[in-house]
Amino acid sequence: MPEAQAICQEPEVDFTVLDRIIFDDYGGNREAMIMMMQAIQRQYRFLPEPALQYISQAIGIPLTKIYEVATFYASFSLVPKGRHIMHVCTGTACHLKGSGGLVQHVAARMGLDGGGTTPDLKFTLETVNCLGACAVSPVVVLDDRYYPKANVGQLNRLIEQIDTE
Amino acid sequence: MKVILDGKEVDAEAGRTILEVARANGVDIPTLCHVPALEPAAMCRLCTVELVEGRRSRLVTACNFPLRGEVEIKTDTPRLRKGRKVLIELLHTRCPDSVVLKELAERYGADLARFPDDNKDCVVCGLCVRVCERIGANVLALSGRGVEIRVNTSFGRTARHCIGCGACAQICPVEKIRIRDEEAERVVIVCGREAARIPLRPCSSCGKPFGPVIDLSLVMERAGEAQVPAFNLLVCPACSRRSHARRLAERHFEQYDIEPAPGGGAE
Amino acid sequence: MATAPRAAAAPSYAKKFACAGELEQYRQALIERTDPAAPRILVCCGTGCKAVGSLDLLEAMKGAVSAAGAQVRVMPEIKRTGCHGFCSRGPLMSFQPENLFYQRVQPADAEEIVRETILGGKRVQKFLYTPPGSKEPIATVDEIPFFAKQTKLVLKRVGRIDPFDINDALVHGAYKGLVKALTEMTPAQVIEEIKTSRLRGRGGGGFPAGVKWESCAKQPGRHYIICNGDEGDPGAFMDASVMEGDPHAVIEGMAIAAYAIGSDRGFFYVRFEYPLAVQTLTRAIRQAEEMGLIGENVLGTRFTFKVSISTGAGAFVCGESSALMSSLEGKVGRPRPKYIRSTERGFRDSPSNLNNVETYANVPEIILRGGAWYTGIGTERSTGTKVFSLTGNVHNVGLVEVPMGSSLREIVYGIGGGIPNRKELKAVQTGGPSGGCIPIPKKFLDINVGFGRLAEIGSMMGSGGMIVMDENTCMVEVSRYFISFLVGESCGQCAPCREGLTRMKEILTRITRGEGRPGDVELLEEIGTFTNSFSLCGLGTSSANPVLSTIRYFREEYDAHIRDKKCPSGVCKPLFYYEIDPATCTGCGLCRVKCPAKAIAGEKKKPHTIHQDLCIKCMECYKNCKFTSIRIM
Ligand SMILES: Cc1cc2nc3c(=O)[nH]c(=O)nc-3n(C[C@H](O)[C@H](O)[C@H](O)COP(=O)(O)O)c2cc1C
Ligand code: SF4
Ligand code: FES
Ligand code: FES
Repeated sequence: MPEAQAICQEPEVDFTVLDRIIFDDYGGNREAMIMMMQAIQRQYRFLPEPALQYISQAIGIPLTKIYEVATFYASFSLVPKGRHIMHVCTGTACHLKGSGGLVQHVAARMGLDGGGTTPDLKFTLETVNCLGACAVSPVVVLDDRYYPKANVGQLNRLIEQIDTE
Repeated sequence: MKVILDGKEVDAEAGRTILEVARANGVDIPTLCHVPALEPAAMCRLCTVELVEGRRSRLVTACNFPLRGEVEIKTDTPRLRKGRKVLIELLHTRCPDSVVLKELAERYGADLARFPDDNKDCVVCGLCVRVCERIGANVLALSGRGVEIRVNTSFGRTARHCIGCGACAQICPVEKIRIRDEEAERVVIVCGREAARIPLRPCSSCGKPFGPVIDLSLVMERAGEAQVPAFNLLVCPACSRRSHARRLAERHFEQYDIEPAPGGGAE
Repeated sequence: MATAPRAAAAPSYAKKFACAGELEQYRQALIERTDPAAPRILVCCGTGCKAVGSLDLLEAMKGAVSAAGAQVRVMPEIKRTGCHGFCSRGPLMSFQPENLFYQRVQPADAEEIVRETILGGKRVQKFLYTPPGSKEPIATVDEIPFFAKQTKLVLKRVGRIDPFDINDALVHGAYKGLVKALTEMTPAQVIEEIKTSRLRGRGGGGFPAGVKWESCAKQPGRHYIICNGDEGDPGAFMDASVMEGDPHAVIEGMAIAAYAIGSDRGFFYVRFEYPLAVQTLTRAIRQAEEMGLIGENVLGTRFTFKVSISTGAGAFVCGESSALMSSLEGKVGRPRPKYIRSTERGFRDSPSNLNNVETYANVPEIILRGGAWYTGIGTERSTGTKVFSLTGNVHNVGLVEVPMGSSLREIVYGIGGGIPNRKELKAVQTGGPSGGCIPIPKKFLDINVGFGRLAEIGSMMGSGGMIVMDENTCMVEVSRYFISFLVGESCGQCAPCREGLTRMKEILTRITRGEGRPGDVELLEEIGTFTNSFSLCGLGTSSANPVLSTIRYFREEYDAHIRDKKCPSGVCKPLFYYEIDPATCTGCGLCRVKCPAKAIAGEKKKPHTIHQDLCIKCMECYKNCKFTSIRIM
């Protein structure tokens, strides 16, 4: 667990923002907890612990239950994600067209073990199960931009761009 | 209502689970993740039995299948024995030391050497998490999913709001939870990791730490009308016993003019 | 910005319609304002085409048309639509009313298209579609076999309308089914009609929808209507395309279900990987509410139906009905162990009716045309059509809608155009991770695709993913892939699924690495059979299907891996090597140039050789050799 990293990177959690999300957007509705957490993750690019504690108090759900939710769903992260996020599709169509190799390649280049975030928080590599664009597999998405029929050369160029930033 | 249980016709109250009816009739269905006090979670699947309705037969878990009509239940068929055998072999890899699993292995002829030991914490029956939630302390959680699932505390941190009741340690079928009183703290250790730490309350009489310092309102609330005598919150059981004994002695032996033994608590 | 003539001329709908008559009047006015002969250009902006830049193309087309300005006699309307289905040919567009089809169009081509086609009235050859193996380009949608051989019922409006514009949907008949249900039928009659149609759930299980509705309607208390838009099967995108391309069909289907069952509240559960679907649905719900087609007192009746959208957060198991309902309640999405139907006690412990996106999308047509009409399509036991997402090693990748009971041959060859690169078809995988691989050359090419038949041969219909695999697909690796997918996606609560999958993955991984042991196949069968029968939910009880079906039909591949330490398909890297056949190698040198590892040497016009220590088995030479001289050894 890169916990030490999480602590030194802990951003200031703005409780007025949390109030806006929890009460204004979702009316403090417990059933909307997953969506509140998604909104918080959009805000901070991960789920800061104080924010989860705050939700727990605000809507009266034990922290353990929130922690279960945060660790159950694949889209949630308890550690900060990088400024650039690359998603490589590993759905069946993309897999058959070699997306596994792409993941390995990018992970090796960025010194990541199969996925995750670089220590400088610049880059995160994740896999997803089918983005619905199977016709142009393998599909890679970098910072919400699609790269259809991705290949190693193209990914190298993208990584170089990030490296020189 | 009548059901056929392993070939014998028995009485069953509608709404009862297969497990309840079987136990009432002396039929032993193995379970790991079930205690009668908690709502069944059917996670271990060890209690799987065959249910025959008309011409259809299917597998259901006995611990939570409510009987609603006249059916036939088979609790010990070759298919079930075979499944249970594999299940025990698989679970054993996680907990090679478990006594309960060894006994079950014996009963179902499981070959414990078939899969290599993984030593992965526990069998994830979820009982401790459920009992902790039921008590109202909410210290333990089932975090992660898939193979990563495990018993955990929030953020894997040592919890401070545990009430040290020990229910989790009591309920664990594979004995993976230990409770240890150190100096002035009680420590809960789940699968070898420290899960909670609660300061212990010093006895106002002898000064030795005894019960956990907790928010008693929770206990009071659970205990309902019957209030916990304030005295018991301050004095350790040993001193409490001693002081009781002395008061008794004073009352009974005074007439014989015998000196009570020296020592004991302050008045 | 280009002008959007009809939108400007459209009558406003500032207020809700007070009755069905008002809606029909409005619809009539819209239709009259629409000149069927007016030129329209439909630019596909479904997820597939969007990924290859169709939004830029849309803007470029609008720009180019308005730049041409006064030169254009009749300003064409340029519409953003959902998926046309032919995703592998994107970005693409069609010209109405003549139905001309342009494919592989880049934003830079917009000007040329405006000049040649719109102003000049000419067809630009290079944008026309040419079927594989033919030299004759085909101009119109109706002539292209990919489209011509389909039967579009669910997809009838997908790709033809602008999903963000309810007027467009209304012109094309949206909410007619709801009007009919509300004004001419009782709830019981609606249920009867659905039962007559023998519509079966399209989410995988194939449960009769009418029976489900009826049993839900019978329950006391507040009822909920839920739409399963989780579409977790990797490699499947049918539901996404329907939600993105024709959201009103789904909303209308849900509203009809709500009326039939007696519910006033509906939910969409959409996976978060589908942001576009969430956008189109959000807009569609708002527009329908503004018009009073859903919401309080729909069309002035006593029927009230509110709809909202919840998104998932990344969990395949949340497609399972009880897990979905937990997730909808904001909780962890673990399937519930209770032996009780969700039509009795589901979401919020109340009677809830859950159906798949495509199931709901079928409903309006059934109500309009009658259940009996519907049974005329498809087969006796599987009525209607089914949408498949056809992917993998097939020429035409995309969305395909065919009557139930169509043969695999028809789908893969007739519509799909066959296998590219002169490869042999090896298997078709249906049903996603819960399904199985159907071996083709042996006997099953003419199998009729329907619920029963697929299950008989060890696969399942699933939600409609259909993945075509050619000879270079290793079936052991495919089964390892699915098991490893499930290992990550199992919720982990019950022991057979969690432990069984872990072991199966371990064994399959060692087989694909060449470390398989005798008896491994039997062990897989034993664990698989156990997991399939002892697990708690549908994920676990079908999880071994990929393994069991590949063992059943491709046992020899397992044996080759384990006994001979060979991967005959050339996929598992430690188990094969490439060799150049000196007899057929012409020494053209292409492979030498293509090899990224510089492992190939040879003189011009002499047979080349591969240096095995340098080869990284990337397949470049194998893919590129024109003389099939590269052999997998
Ligand atoms: C593990 C698992 C995943 C599922 N995923 C989906 C899904 O993504 N979409 C879907 O519509 N149904 C899915 N289902 C089926 C649903 O549980 C349910 O049967 C279906 O949504 C009912 O709708 P229908 O009767 O209209 O098919 C899944 C089932 C299981 C067991
Ligand atoms: S079968 Fe798998 S996914 Fe289903 S409840 Fe059990 S562990 Fe969870
Ligand atoms: S499998 Fe990658 S987009 Fe579908
Ligand atoms: S006791 Fe029934 S599943 Fe565990």
